[in-house]
Amino acid sequence: MKRCDTTMLQIFSYGIPVLVLYGVYAYLYRGSPVDRPETVWRLIYNFGGLILAAWMLLSLYLSLRLMASGGFRDEVLSRMTFIKERDEREIMLTGVAVKKTFLTSLAILIFLFFLSCFHVSLSKLPPGETIDGKTRVLTLDISLNLIRDSGPQDPGATKHAVDIVSYEGLPITSTAVILLLILWQILSYNCAMRRLMREGNAT
Amino acid sequence: MPKSSPRLKIVNRLRVFRAERRITQEELAKEIGVTRATIIAIEGGGYNPSLELAFRLARHFDADINELFSVEEDGK
Repeated sequence: MKRCDTTMLQIFSYGIPVLVLYGVYAYLYRGSPVDRPETVWRLIYNFGGLILAAWMLLSLYLSLRLMASGGFRDEVLSRMTFIKERDEREIMLTGVAVKKTFLTSLAILIFLFFLSCFHVSLSKLPPGETIDGKTRVLTLDISLNLIRDSGPQDPGATKHAVDIVSYEGLPITSTAVILLLILWQILSYNCAMRRLMREGNAT
Repeated sequence: MPKSSPRLKIVNRLRVFRAERRITQEELAKEIGVTRATIIAIEGGGYNPSLELAFRLARHFDADINELFSVEEDGK
């Protein structure tokens, strides 16, 4: 790894606790510099903003570098995910564990895909709008929105209906999904590898 | 579907060779350049080494590879 990469990674890593401390400090002593005109406050806010901007730039640069440079990616991500390939057996076991991780991640992604597409709602109609004497309506919908759509909802026959149960795609944010998948990949790989090492039997 | 040939089981006498020369698993692993877990796995029959590693082991014990490794049909 290049010397500048090592330095940037160190700055990035050491920046995390600084940012957490700054976040906690900002949370505890809420109030903008306008509210608190003292010079110390202004200095703290400006310094914090500067650190945050630099750290954000650094994180973008490092993540782009991880995508572009194979050597850098191998070195950094192997360390982050605790991949050890000390001899041919461990290289082979890594392959087996990675296959397991890949397939389970794919299964999770397929499951999440379907969950994000399905919309289900069970609603109760007002007394005057019954359909064939029925007061409850089950609505099923599959939507494949590839870009975020904040347009108006479809005004159907059940616009006055009161939702009893409603499910409209995944209830968690895309950030949470990505974070969970990253954690899952690391956990799944390490569990599979540990099991294979314990068994000592992958032929 | 092609007819599958009988599975071959590779057996080795690594433990015997090592005992004859009074070498520990750790020492052998260090000299061959693998981890001790790999030596344990080979001796236990849980891992079949690559050709390169098999030749390295044979050369280390100054033996023919057929003395160290042999093949028998599975289930016999």
